[in-house]
Amino acid sequence: MKFKDKTRTEKVLIVMHIVAWLAFVGFAIEAGAILTSYIVSCINPAASAHMYKQLNLDSLMQFSFLHYSMQVFFLFLIPLIKAYIWYLVIKIASGFDIKNPFTSQVTLKLEKISFLLLGTWIVFLMNAEHSAWLLSETGKQYGSEITGDSIFMAGLVFIISQVFKRGVEIQSEHELTI
Amino acid sequence: MPIIVNLDVMMARRKMSLNELAGKVDLTLANLSILKTGKAKAIRFSTLEAICKVLDCQPGDLLEYSDK
Repeated sequence: MKFKDKTRTEKVLIVMHIVAWLAFVGFAIEAGAILTSYIVSCINPAASAHMYKQLNLDSLMQFSFLHYSMQVFFLFLIPLIKAYIWYLVIKIASGFDIKNPFTSQVTLKLEKISFLLLGTWIVFLMNAEHSAWLLSETGKQYGSEITGDSIFMAGLVFIISQVFKRGVEIQSEHELTI
Repeated sequence: MPIIVNLDVMMARRKMSLNELAGKVDLTLANLSILKTGKAKAIRFSTLEAICKVLDCQPGDLLEYSDK
């Protein structure tokens, strides 16, 4: 079937599939770049001044290698989780059957995404606490400020997954109605 | 489920095979098999009507309630 012959929902899903791939590749590159620049900075400490996206953590590395590693770990973990979330979206979009959309696999993946978003929020929280401590110790702001976006999204996706779960039950009943 | 489908009993009484019944009530063999084995969650009145017509019986002959 040609793209123009597909329904609006099918077209949206195709576009979402492409967007999910782009986002997955983008976040995977970001995570990889942070990890690579961290490994390089372990060998050559001067590299900590020119990390991914012009991030300068040179003063933090001089302050403490442990705290530098922790900060980089948070910076690495967030895009890694986001990349995995987008990978799950790709999996959902690629195996989505418009005729029978409510499957237990989709529900499980949605639940997984909601827990991963909650995990992202926890990482943000830990990063913010660590940054606040570093601010009090060094007088410099390193990490990002805490936002409630992730926990809001986690709650929203979890509700959608529960609605989907009910949808699976209704679809199963519908299929077993003779 | 406490609702028991006695389709196999009625088919045996009328000496009718599942294939023959499927053809006469215009249902797929797979769907009729789901009904016969008691895996069905619900039955449409139109399906019940068609089966009763072909097997010349009442809905009560096909369905039975048992809480055991």
